[in-house]
Amino acid sequence: MIKKFDKKDEEAGSGSNPFQHLEKSAVLQEARIFNETPINPRRCLHILTKIIYLLNQGEHFGTTEATEAFFAMTRLFQSNDQTLRRMCYLTIKEMANISEDVIIVTSSLTKDMTGKEDVYRGPAIRALCRITDTTMLQAIERYMKQAIVDKVPSVSSSALVSSLHMVKMSYDVVKRWVNEAQEAASSDNIMVQVGMVLVWLFICPPSCFSFIYPCLYHVMFPMHLQYHALGLLYHLRKNDRLAVTKMLNKFTKSGLKSPFAYCMLIRIASKLLEETEGGHDSPLFDFIESCLRNKHEMVVYEAASAIVHMPNCTARELAPAVSVLQLFCSSPKAALRYAAVRTLNKVAMKHPSAVTACNLDLENLITDSNRSIATLAITTLLKTGSESSVDRLMKQISSFVSEISDEFKVVVVQAISALCQKYPRKHSVMMNFLSNMLRDDGGFEYKRAIVDCIISIIEENPESKETGLAHLCEFIEDCEHTVLATKILHLLGKEGPRTPSPSKYIRFIFNRVVLESEAVRAAAVSALAKFGAQNDDLLPSVLVLMQRCMMDSDDEVRDRATFYMNVLQQKQKALNAAYIFNGLSVSVPGLEKSLHQYTLEPSEKPFDMKTVPLATAPITEQKTEIAPVATSKLPEKPAPSRQDIYQEQLAGIPEFQSLGPLFKSSEPVQLTEAETEYVVRCIKHTFATHMVFQFDCTNTLNDQLLQRVLVQMEPSEAYEVVHHVPAPSLPYNQPGSSYTLVRLPDDDPTAVSCTFSCTMKYLVRDCDPNTGEPDDDGYDDEYVLEDLEVTVADHIQKVLKPNFGAAWEEVGDEFEKEETFALASVRTLEEAVNNIVSFLGMQPCERSDKVPENKNSHVLFLAGMNLPDIYFILKGSE
Amino acid sequence: MGLFDKLAGWLGLKKKEVNVLCLGLDNSGKTTIINQLKPTNSCLGEKNWCHLLQAQAQDIVPTIGFSIEKFKTSSLSFTVFDMSGQGRYRNLWEHYYKEGQAIIFVIDSSDKLRMVVAKEELDTLLNHPDIKHRRIPILFFANKMDLRDALSSVKVSQLLCLENIKDKPWHICASNAVQGEGLQEGVDWLQGTD
Ligand SMILES: Nc1nc2c(ncn2[C@@H]2O[C@H](COP(=O)(O)OP(=O)(O)OP(=O)(O)O)[C@@H](O)[C@H]2O)c(=O)[nH]1
Ligand SMILES: [Mg+2]
Repeated sequence: MIKKFDKKDEEAGSGSNPFQHLEKSAVLQEARIFNETPINPRRCLHILTKIIYLLNQGEHFGTTEATEAFFAMTRLFQSNDQTLRRMCYLTIKEMANISEDVIIVTSSLTKDMTGKEDVYRGPAIRALCRITDTTMLQAIERYMKQAIVDKVPSVSSSALVSSLHMVKMSYDVVKRWVNEAQEAASSDNIMVQVGMVLVWLFICPPSCFSFIYPCLYHVMFPMHLQYHALGLLYHLRKNDRLAVTKMLNKFTKSGLKSPFAYCMLIRIASKLLEETEGGHDSPLFDFIESCLRNKHEMVVYEAASAIVHMPNCTARELAPAVSVLQLFCSSPKAALRYAAVRTLNKVAMKHPSAVTACNLDLENLITDSNRSIATLAITTLLKTGSESSVDRLMKQISSFVSEISDEFKVVVVQAISALCQKYPRKHSVMMNFLSNMLRDDGGFEYKRAIVDCIISIIEENPESKETGLAHLCEFIEDCEHTVLATKILHLLGKEGPRTPSPSKYIRFIFNRVVLESEAVRAAAVSALAKFGAQNDDLLPSVLVLMQRCMMDSDDEVRDRATFYMNVLQQKQKALNAAYIFNGLSVSVPGLEKSLHQYTLEPSEKPFDMKTVPLATAPITEQKTEIAPVATSKLPEKPAPSRQDIYQEQLAGIPEFQSLGPLFKSSEPVQLTEAETEYVVRCIKHTFATHMVFQFDCTNTLNDQLLQRVLVQMEPSEAYEVVHHVPAPSLPYNQPGSSYTLVRLPDDDPTAVSCTFSCTMKYLVRDCDPNTGEPDDDGYDDEYVLEDLEVTVADHIQKVLKPNFGAAWEEVGDEFEKEETFALASVRTLEEAVNNIVSFLGMQPCERSDKVPENKNSHVLFLAGMNLPDIYFILKGSE
Repeated sequence: MGLFDKLAGWLGLKKKEVNVLCLGLDNSGKTTIINQLKPTNSCLGEKNWCHLLQAQAQDIVPTIGFSIEKFKTSSLSFTVFDMSGQGRYRNLWEHYYKEGQAIIFVIDSSDKLRMVVAKEELDTLLNHPDIKHRRIPILFFANKMDLRDALSSVKVSQLLCLENIKDKPWHICASNAVQGEGLQEGVDWLQGTD
């Protein structure tokens, strides 16, 4: 019956999907034939296919029906039909998480994996590992160990890959298989087999090929085998740098057969290089470089890619990698050309000059029939070429931009964005191009890239502001992406009021209030308010529009309108600045927590905003280049910041509960060299009257267990060490934290900075490096750390004032203080700006930390907040 | 050649297929019994046969879930569902009751302590809706008869109150699965009931 069906389908040649209109309930009904004896393999096979198809279409199976189908399927193990059995394995894997009691097939699978039917063994192992949980793992451990070293490569490979999956679930058990994995990685029966099959290939007539192919399959597996074994070995050791280094040494010396394994080795080596900040004179780098001469293209490419992605690569080190990629550019294989040009494209972002050597090859690729390659070639040239070639290239690209996929359109946009930073004069050409792209069809990521790009052009080039805003206004008239619409509305609110003719934006904004979803309407109301607050002549009409918004059907929109209405009616600059331009500067999760606390313990006193920790590092406003769009996700709920997490952690320690809200947490400061016995870094947490020093310590000696670890601190000023919270125990390679609480000097406000000499004190218990079993008794020891500085920046929290002017006026003249400082040691303006920003730890506003070229005076706007609650705004110029 | 394959080869007839459930507490010897009934690898010469038998007995580990084995006798082709007897898996037996056409219930006759547990499981089985009203034959193996303190098959049938089973044919025989003793008798009975 099935056969007929298939045939008809083939004849029709329509490619129509025979499973298109499957109904879950009907399929489950059909699955009852699994219970019939004798089993009809063909029919059962077809039904299993349907079930798997449905599962893969995302059809939801309830636990009961899934379990019923699963148990019915288990009866099919009666049949010895090979195809059916393998379909059962697939079904088991698909249903492992939706059916109950899937362990029922454990014995059936262990029987298959140890049986004599080789085609069953590998797949049975893979299925078994999907249904096994930590409690069952012990029961199959013996089989797994045997399978890893099995002489049939497909079995061994399956066991290795499955072990790799199980590392996540049960590291400790899988760790015990390391010797087996080691054996698999260096097994040499591979060569014998390869040799044998090759001989066969030469001496056999073609009619024997059907016999040879299965053998070839067995030859291919050993290749993967090394790769899989290496993968498992690496994952078992990756937390132990020393072991990884040893492993790399071993394999880089002995060499590997499999190109896949080589590629992995290159990846491991470059990761290790990065972690250890190893210089390029390291043997690891030599190894990677030597792979540029490997006979497999795959390995050569991997090595080149690893080198170009290394941080701090010099032009000289890049050169050999780039020339390999250059060669690949003229390869007849599209995949290689693609890989090469894509990688060159990335290199061009950081080292455009290193890629200029390839310009000619890239020019040839512009007309490549593969559009993806062409796009990448052009966008690379845009980065490396001269300003004069920009127009030509842009024209070329517009000829086919409609043919390429969104993903590549995003690449084009990114190239444009980079170009605008490099050649600011080109921004009008680009803006034009972008606005055309904005009108085209395209998905969210693409549109977002364009919008981000336009926004960054506007920010970099004040003269492009009005054109840019106009394009964006046009875009939101017909924009289906809420996120983009609200983002643009926010921008309009921020920039619009400061343009020569703010009134022209009002119409676009108000249209949103009439036409769009709640979120967009709310954003539109906020934008409107900003116009009203800043432009007196627009205020009356803004008030009228607000009035209308107060009738909105949505709560949030009404609330905002009512709020802004009342603030605007006061007509006070300070109020406008505080509540309309420069919104909240507290951390949102922090606010949520404080409010919750307040509702739990209601009091007569009104809620005090000052008890809420400030928001930290408003990086989004600072960044200048577009982040690679593909990796960033939609903005969701505000994630707790680093500081919110610290606040939570510290609050969990009883000694620190009475310290009040956490004001600021510093970046970690290293107190030891990277490669020492103990690695210690410190994070300084500032509270109103105290500081907590958090020492994150790692013990890198596998023959020691440290206990009661604390850091003793000797201050140079009147700081008083109040309390230590030791880390109870530091086993090998498991980081732990020790805390020291210090009271700030309250009588001497000038003593903000202080130097502490630090010593780590602890009890050592020697232990067996293999088992980790510690000796019964230990001895006290200490370890001198580097000095720790507390600086001005630790007492100041960054606050972002999006509208610095308004904030400055809000503070008023009577608080203004002017002083002149000479900065003797700095040579350039840029250096001065950077030094001031990092010394004071304040937030640069209005992008004033970017010093335009060829200027000899500059105004820097900084905003910060001092302890306990003094706002601190600084305007500096030279 | 396995114990029951002798005739099968000669006759070459298509045999009637029977699904058998093999139940009983853990460690009672179900898997060992079925392994004995299974045909062994026929390429092996007579000499290796003993060796293999031993290896089979040694290799037996507690079953997890179930496993399906097949063997043939002169007239029938058996498909046995060898279920796991461990407590946590016993409630999974019932998934397979419907298609069981016969039951082999194995008792470790040296395990007096758990005889009540075996009885409880048997009663639950007999009262299950999928079993209760069907006249399916039940073969009991009072296994491990070789052990010193093993109870006799009569004693076992008393302890399990087998005489109360009225509506189903049943039979009990003492067995030693490791040596294969008593198994033939049981299977002969099973064949006869059909
Ligand atoms: N002395 C003796 N030992 C036996 C006999 N039958 C089985 N055994 C042993 O009893 C142990 C358990 O046997 P299994 O066949 O695994 O028992 P099972 O009923 O399948 O157990 P589960 O799979 O856990 O339900 C094994 O060590 C066997 O060698 C017997 O007749 N005499
Ligand atoms: Mg068993």
